[in-house]
Amino acid sequence: MKLLSYVVLLLSISLSAVAEESEPAKVWLERLSSSLNKLNFSTSFVVVKNNQAQPYHWFHGVDENGKELEILSLLNGPRRDILRKDNVVSYIEPELPPYSVTSQKISGPIPAILAGDISQLEKIYDFISVGRSRILGRPAQLIRIEPKNAHRYAYWLWLDQQSSMLLKLSIVTKQGQQLEQIQFTHLDITDKPSESVLQLHETELPMLVDIPEEYQQQELQWDVNWLPEGFKQVNSNRHKISLTKQPVEFVLFSDGLVDISIYVNASKEKQRNADFAMEGATLVLNQVNDGIEVSVVGKIPSKTAKTIADSIIIKPPKAP
Amino acid sequence: MSESKFETVSSCVDNFQHNENAFDEILNDEHLSTTWDRYHLIGDVLRNDIPDILQLDLSSEIANAIADEPTILAPKANNIFVLKLKAKVVEFAKPFGQLAIAASAAGLMVLGVQSNVAQNNETILPSQIVQTIPMAGIAEPVSLNFQQPDIASQKQAFIEQQRRFHALLSDHKQQIKLGSLAANLNETNNQSETSNIDNTKANKSNK
Repeated sequence: MKLLSYVVLLLSISLSAVAEESEPAKVWLERLSSSLNKLNFSTSFVVVKNNQAQPYHWFHGVDENGKELEILSLLNGPRRDILRKDNVVSYIEPELPPYSVTSQKISGPIPAILAGDISQLEKIYDFISVGRSRILGRPAQLIRIEPKNAHRYAYWLWLDQQSSMLLKLSIVTKQGQQLEQIQFTHLDITDKPSESVLQLHETELPMLVDIPEEYQQQELQWDVNWLPEGFKQVNSNRHKISLTKQPVEFVLFSDGLVDISIYVNASKEKQRNADFAMEGATLVLNQVNDGIEVSVVGKIPSKTAKTIADSIIIKPPKAP
Repeated sequence: MSESKFETVSSCVDNFQHNENAFDEILNDEHLSTTWDRYHLIGDVLRNDIPDILQLDLSSEIANAIADEPTILAPKANNIFVLKLKAKVVEFAKPFGQLAIAASAAGLMVLGVQSNVAQNNETILPSQIVQTIPMAGIAEPVSLNFQQPDIASQKQAFIEQQRRFHALLSDHKQQIKLGSLAANLNETNNQSETSNIDNTKANKSNK
């Protein structure tokens, strides 16, 4: 009897512990999202991939009209700046003349979803609150975004206990190997937006690119028969790859956190085995099967990419 | 057999001994000449020079082969001629290929400029935006008209593959940037059945 009561006691303690641990994980992420949208901050971080470190400056502020201003710049090598005034995002890169798009999120090394609605990830990822550690000289809470199956990578986030700001991010395989890391090296949170962000008001952003909707949703000559659960088509079009001038048929899928690009084109070669390269967590897979070249790019394990590439079938030409 | 004699053999093998008598001594002594053979074999193994099928007694084979070899009278000159011809073909082919590619690149640039001018008043499509100056070091022409199945073409294939990976990676990043617009549209589409960019803008400014 005494033993039973002990067991019940233990069980109730552990249950309440689980409830306490699993509930806050999402709350933490929601607080992160609101911090990223509402705080005035200047930070620096370093992205580590393939033994290479890329340093960035990141400024964010909200002006008196409630409009968000944001600057993200790469500090090494040729200039790569991303500027954002409310819902206009401008990209300044060496490959292209500067351009702007209508969007509320910048597409940089930090997944945009972290500043968005995190609940759309709940179906395919578990949010787990793991424990505390010290990052950037501050007490931090480790939150894991773990995929529900082995087709994806996990994202581990270390959040500042005080401000809920991101201090560190790791992309981790199912085996626990770290593929890509973002480590913040400086964080300054201020009451008022910083000078550098406010200067955006005087800056004239490059011309807005207007992409017709039909261009983004073209019917292509092939189908993807398998994708991990939760991926939705974002874009399908025909374009030329800028560096090789290779015309391709292209589809972009996203699950909110991860983007997968699929390229299909006719090849001069008849057959070539699958070959892949990795840049941090981003995998590029390329193969030629029966004269059809298929490439899959995204932050996914090679096995997932291979299964996707193998599942592509060419539609029979339509009868006239 | 003294230790110094083995040392002499070793230095002969390594081309350090210039005393003619030492070679004669090795040749005349059976034990020393087998040592000579063995040292060469060890050297070959260390240098990874051994053939797939290891024939341990090569010296007699070579001696027989030399004895069987017919005297060559004329064909040598012919060989040189062929070699020269080949070298010339390679020299010609390369500049031509490069010229052709340069010319076609120039053509593309001219075309690009023209189409930009022509469509000045229209909206810019992504295919136009995406045409750019290639980054330094990647634009090197790599496809010549002929390919030989040798190490050079393997290397070529490797470079080609790296180039392809690089191009795909940067295009992937590019498309995500452009694709976020569609993602926004889809999100708002789900909330209300509108599919108009102006509506989306209105929604955003209301927020």
